[in-house]
Amino acid sequence: MTIAMIFVFLGLLALALTIYLAKGQLSSGGDLQKLSTQLRSVDVAAFCNLISASEQDYLRGHLPSREFRSIHRERMLAAVEYVRCAARNAAILIRLGESARQHSDPSVREAGEKLLENGLRLRLYALQLVPRLYLSMAFPKFGPASNPLADAYENMSRQVVRLSRLDFPTHDMSSAL
Amino acid sequence: MLFARYYLWIGPHVLLAVFLVCLLRRKLHGQLPIFTSFVIFELIQFIVLFTISRHSPLPGAIYGWVLVFGEGISSILGFGVIYELANELLLSRSSSASVLRPGLRAMLAVLLLGAAIGSGALYGISMQRVINTFEVIDFSSYLIQAGMVLGLFVFARALRFSWRSWVAGVALGFGVSGCMDLASAAFRGFGKTSFIAVDLTQMAAFHVCVVIWLVSLFLADHAPPFPDGKLKLSDLELWDQELQRMVRR
Repeated sequence: MTIAMIFVFLGLLALALTIYLAKGQLSSGGDLQKLSTQLRSVDVAAFCNLISASEQDYLRGHLPSREFRSIHRERMLAAVEYVRCAARNAAILIRLGESARQHSDPSVREAGEKLLENGLRLRLYALQLVPRLYLSMAFPKFGPASNPLADAYENMSRQVVRLSRLDFPTHDMSSAL
Repeated sequence: MLFARYYLWIGPHVLLAVFLVCLLRRKLHGQLPIFTSFVIFELIQFIVLFTISRHSPLPGAIYGWVLVFGEGISSILGFGVIYELANELLLSRSSSASVLRPGLRAMLAVLLLGAAIGSGALYGISMQRVINTFEVIDFSSYLIQAGMVLGLFVFARALRFSWRSWVAGVALGFGVSGCMDLASAAFRGFGKTSFIAVDLTQMAAFHVCVVIWLVSLFLADHAPPFPDGKLKLSDLELWDQELQRMVRR
């Protein structure tokens, strides 16, 4: 009976989650004008500084261990916020790409398809990067100094740089970024 | 009560037949061929079982084994539909496929483990071999289907995929039905009363599922037009070039 009750609970929980997630999927995505107001500007230089390996080494060498850990934690938290901003902006790009895919002009459709794919790739980067930043927060040794992670950070910083430069004249998105 | 039982048995299948006709007339069956096979099989299974139950002089055990055999095929087709949905909604987008595939595989492995544990715990709850077999197939397939559909929605949410098409409706229908069936399937072995109650719940869930499929098919006709008339190709190309530079290294 206990096992049965557990599966009843799991089934109902899964049902509630499925409906909640589907509701978000099936609801209107909103127009681009509204979405453009949700864009957040990203200070790329500050982000690069936060994830810089040399900066981290400098802090490690000049600060007491306890203070370094505390500061490193705050820096990684700030970096996570930057990555989330970039991911949110990418979500808006994805919406734009999806809209363009419905256009009657095949060349616009094709451009929208490419835009969508690149936006998705950017979100995947962001999804992979956030847990790594949290890991680095807990264990500074696994921070941006390690090569694969440094690459990922660099990629992400490039993404953020480009995002901050993206210009969308019809909706004044460039100023928002 | 008898009316409700017959309605919940016949009604959803009548709606399913309407759905199949609409699907074929709009030539959408090519988009999800396994799902179309699933729908056709469900209709055939219903006709066979209904005929056996109403007119056959054969013993009740025959009905039971036909039901078990049909449930097995239906489960296999159901897994095929989940794969088809995953492919249509997530994996066909080349950039995400390589990352999402391992995630989906891991999820499937966990669900298989859960199904094995659950089936082991629930097996033997009834004295009849045919009912036991039915319960194991029933429970395992619902657990995996519900879990996989939920997983697809979680991935879509994380990546901000948009599913505004009838395929999303198919996924939602499967998800709702799978979750309700999972919640009720574990009670199937607790006597005849619970067996009937579980049957009614699952038939009601299937009814909801078919209604969702039908609604999503009709809503697909009214897809919103391209929302931004001011958007130009040059803008799109500019954005795309920027993004390509971002992700290339």
